[in-house]
Amino acid sequence: MQTTVLDRVEPVADGTVSLVLRGADGPLAPWEPGAHVDLALPNWLTRQYSLCGDPADRGSYRVAVRHDRLSRGGSEYIHLFLRTGRTMEVSLPRNNFPLLPAPEYLFVAGGIGITPMVSMLAAAVESGAVATLVYVGRSLVTMPFAGELRAAYGDRVRVYATEEHGRPDFAALAAALNPQALVYCCGPMSMLDAAEAVFPAQRLHIERFQPTVRQFAPNQPFEVHCVRSGKTVPVAAEESMLDALNHAGCRVSSGCREGVCGSCEITVVDGEPEHRDDIGAPPGRMYCCVSRALSGRLVVDL
Amino acid sequence: MTSNDTLMSARPRRVSYEEVRARIGEPEDMIRAKVHDRIDRHGHRFIAHSPFVAMATSDAHGLPDCSPRGDYPGFVKVLDERTLAIPDRPGNKLADSFRNLAENDGIGLMFVIPGMREVMRVNGHAYPTDEPDVLARMRTEGKDAQLAIVVEVVEAFFHCGRALIRSRLWDPASQALAAELPSAGEVAVDQMGLDVDPAVLENMLETAYRQLY
Repeated sequence: MQTTVLDRVEPVADGTVSLVLRGADGPLAPWEPGAHVDLALPNWLTRQYSLCGDPADRGSYRVAVRHDRLSRGGSEYIHLFLRTGRTMEVSLPRNNFPLLPAPEYLFVAGGIGITPMVSMLAAAVESGAVATLVYVGRSLVTMPFAGELRAAYGDRVRVYATEEHGRPDFAALAAALNPQALVYCCGPMSMLDAAEAVFPAQRLHIERFQPTVRQFAPNQPFEVHCVRSGKTVPVAAEESMLDALNHAGCRVSSGCREGVCGSCEITVVDGEPEHRDDIGAPPGRMYCCVSRALSGRLVVDL
Repeated sequence: MTSNDTLMSARPRRVSYEEVRARIGEPEDMIRAKVHDRIDRHGHRFIAHSPFVAMATSDAHGLPDCSPRGDYPGFVKVLDERTLAIPDRPGNKLADSFRNLAENDGIGLMFVIPGMREVMRVNGHAYPTDEPDVLARMRTEGKDAQLAIVVEVVEAFFHCGRALIRSRLWDPASQALAAELPSAGEVAVDQMGLDVDPAVLENMLETAYRQLY
């Protein structure tokens, strides 16, 4: 964790505020476009937000938060109760949405899904690649950074306010796509589903805020052997691997606990994990908040 | 028989409300004025920081029951200035509060914030709901609340801190009191006349406590 001070809370669109968090003990950890951090709120909740400031600014992080109508206590707290000057713990940046090299990029953002795209678009343009941003929102006043992005990148930014212009034609975008191009999409579930339906899977990168709804085989108990501590931890069918490890004293940090943020990533030495996350674990890794085991025993580097 | 029963020769005498008033006097106008009919921004801030609420309901005959509810601060949602929602998490399945609300919709709430001497009280009428938009706001660790209690606010007010000051409730030294009590397992073995090691019950309870959602 890094200690920051909340310097500014300012509206950036109807229903959205931006937070500027200044490093309390000097420069903050560096980050790459697409990265997010966990923000520990005073009400014990931890929430993940994409960094939307300038990666070159090592003195502070910037995030933008939309007040969710169905807030469980994160965005509502930030909008109504968070006070400037307050000390806040922020995680090291993590990146599940890195910008991979390509000659051409199509960025597709829906609503608050614009946040990771701000620095990604800047980096893509900086690299000399062809870059287009399709930015969809309900109406212009609810769309953070729309004006700034249009001013900075002109026609490369195509803003669709659906109340006025309707939705962009994803099929047409897919048909016109350069085969070498990479597509990055972040937004509400319906937009991600639409993107997955038209863009080739190997060109498409998605960042989710919410887990997908899926059915899994019933939970089975299994055991986890932690090579560093030598402990063997039983995981009952009704508890998560993350909880079992933490109760046994094998500390694993966590954020969303829903398989979307990646903060509980651990290294698997042996055994076969049953991946239930929405991030896509790299080989030899797993997210133990939701994922379990296909083998009766996992060996992990803890 | 405990020693207290033997010490008391008769029921304590009852005094009338008029006698009570005569003893304690009348409240100041300012105290009367503190009762609001809605949750203002100060009340909302209080509830948003409260991880614990005592919830009183009563049955058709007026027999009351007080039940603790707790979770992360703000687990009770302020839906609007006249409406709250309290999540129902897995518990002992006795559903005393729900049974009471089915007979008598009156509810009394006392919100507490650790470290804060004042408490907040809300009284009103309540009913259970399974409204998806309400339950979605209570999703924790990937699980929705199974039900919620909707509270229609009639009265809301802050209650002064004297009781919490006198009780030293937030003084860390007060936690030594818990060590003076037998464990929950020992009490259960004694109360139910069980022939088991209290540690077995303790372990069962600890295991059950790991499954909070």
